Amino acid sequence: MRVDLGYVPLTDAAPVIAAAELGFAREEGIDLVLSPEPSWATLRDRLALGHLDAAHMLAPLALATRLGLSGPQADLVAPMALNLNGNAITVSLPLWEAMAPEADDLDAVASAFARLAMARAGEGRPLTIATVHPFSCHSYQLRIFAERGGLDLGRAVRIVVVPPPQTVDALRRGEIDGFCVGAPWNSIAVAAGLGRIAALGCEIVPDCPEKVLAVHGSQAEALSPLVEALHRAGTWCADPANVGELAGLLSEKGGLGPDTDLIRRTLTGHLVVDPTGLCRTAPDYLRLGSSVHRPRPEHRAWLARQMAASGQIADATEVCEEAEAFYRPSLLKA
Amino acid sequence: MQIHLPSRYRNPVSSLSKKHPASMTETSLTVAVIDPSSLRAAILEEGLRAAGVDSVVVVPDGPDLQARVGALKPDVVVVHLESPSRDILEQMSGISRHVERPVAMFVDRSDATMMQAAVDAGISAYVVDGLRTERIKPILDIAILRFNAFARLQRELMEAKSELADRKVIDRAKGILMSRKGLPEEEAYKLLRKQAMNEKRKIIDIARAIVTAADLLG
Repeated sequence: MRVDLGYVPLTDAAPVIAAAELGFAREEGIDLVLSPEPSWATLRDRLALGHLDAAHMLAPLALATRLGLSGPQADLVAPMALNLNGNAITVSLPLWEAMAPEADDLDAVASAFARLAMARAGEGRPLTIATVHPFSCHSYQLRIFAERGGLDLGRAVRIVVVPPPQTVDALRRGEIDGFCVGAPWNSIAVAAGLGRIAALGCEIVPDCPEKVLAVHGSQAEALSPLVEALHRAGTWCADPANVGELAGLLSEKGGLGPDTDLIRRTLTGHLVVDPTGLCRTAPDYLRLGSSVHRPRPEHRAWLARQMAASGQIADATEVCEEAEAFYRPSLLKA
Repeated sequence: MQIHLPSRYRNPVSSLSKKHPASMTETSLTVAVIDPSSLRAAILEEGLRAAGVDSVVVVPDGPDLQARVGALKPDVVVVHLESPSRDILEQMSGISRHVERPVAMFVDRSDATMMQAAVDAGISAYVVDGLRTERIKPILDIAILRFNAFARLQRELMEAKSELADRKVIDRAKGILMSRKGLPEEEAYKLLRKQAMNEKRKIIDIARAIVTAADLLG
């Protein structure tokens, strides 16, 4: 069975890349054809209208597509989660210097960010912070981070979208003051000497639902071999013994750039957070593997609440029933 | 043809839709065209102008796209499906009280065939909230026609190129046969054709084999 699967080149595409490249899909009788997509909107439309059979997809975007809030409405379901976490907020070095947080913990950094953002908004030159799509955990994490410092993000900060591969250039040109994106793009901005990782997604929202496998509800049963293949591939990816090989694979086949050491660090959670080489260790920075694959009921409620808090829907309770049908843990056999 | 969200989801009608009274024809619309291929963008621009849309602006698919689209305040944005900038437009048109929204997401629920045809042709569109179906449909029809014609031309060009490349290989193979076997050109070609028939292969395959062998054996 041929399956066309769309993905966006990111560290958390590891399970789909491993499934295609290391034989997990073939062993389940699947000819897995991967299609790197230039934007989330492209991936969503292609999946919704049948150019793709499956996708590595932002959990909120897949749910929004099901709810008819984003792009062509489609009966998408998520038989499994591909990962939890993986995002971070990176700010430009001048912004970090101006923020001058008293400590490096989340509360101190969020307060410092909020203070500076309010000051800049007061001067009529608000900070510009980038995210990846309105229906993304990145957008929600930015808002939660701001609130933690006592800031109403929508009022004080200009939020824009910059495609992650362009974030380094946008930072260099001063078009943005910071961004919330997924691995490895935060680390790439640090390695380029332009950014300081200010906060990790996993400390803003622990075990945040990030990417899911999205398929059409009508095809979900037929695609259970794909779910099995991705479950096995994801389990392989999470095994520390395979980190070196996986980093090489993501560099070579996943379109994540030549720096395998940098990719390896995003997989193990040993992150370099500033250009002087300061390191932080966060084992939960990006969680892959069998312990994260089963969709969790609390995640669909969380996603609905975030949509409501972001003004994308009026009331979380209205969509909870649809959200319930969105996650299909029963399709994950293992 | 636009999103028909329950009114509680909806933002206040933007000033843009107020700009155009319903009676105006589509010549009064401002259409932005965004495409990583500047040639394809130019072809669409020309098509829209020919159809009477006066204000067509090709916006470069570059870093200042948001500022340009924001300043232009287009009624319709026609963007190639594969533009990496599409997520930028989605943020600008996002269903959120927090964002400036020059455009609203184009979602055609009433005409699924049209939507499929647009996406198949590689088109996505964003329209200002409140713009009526009959004003958008002709623009999308033109975009679909032009994009499909462009894809066809590109395919033909590719085929022509590969034909030309094949012709060059066959000429080289003929040249090799002529010099090695002292044959006139016509005989060399006949020999190629005969070999192809005997082996039930294409002439180009035989020619490639000869060229490869000659390259290897010197």
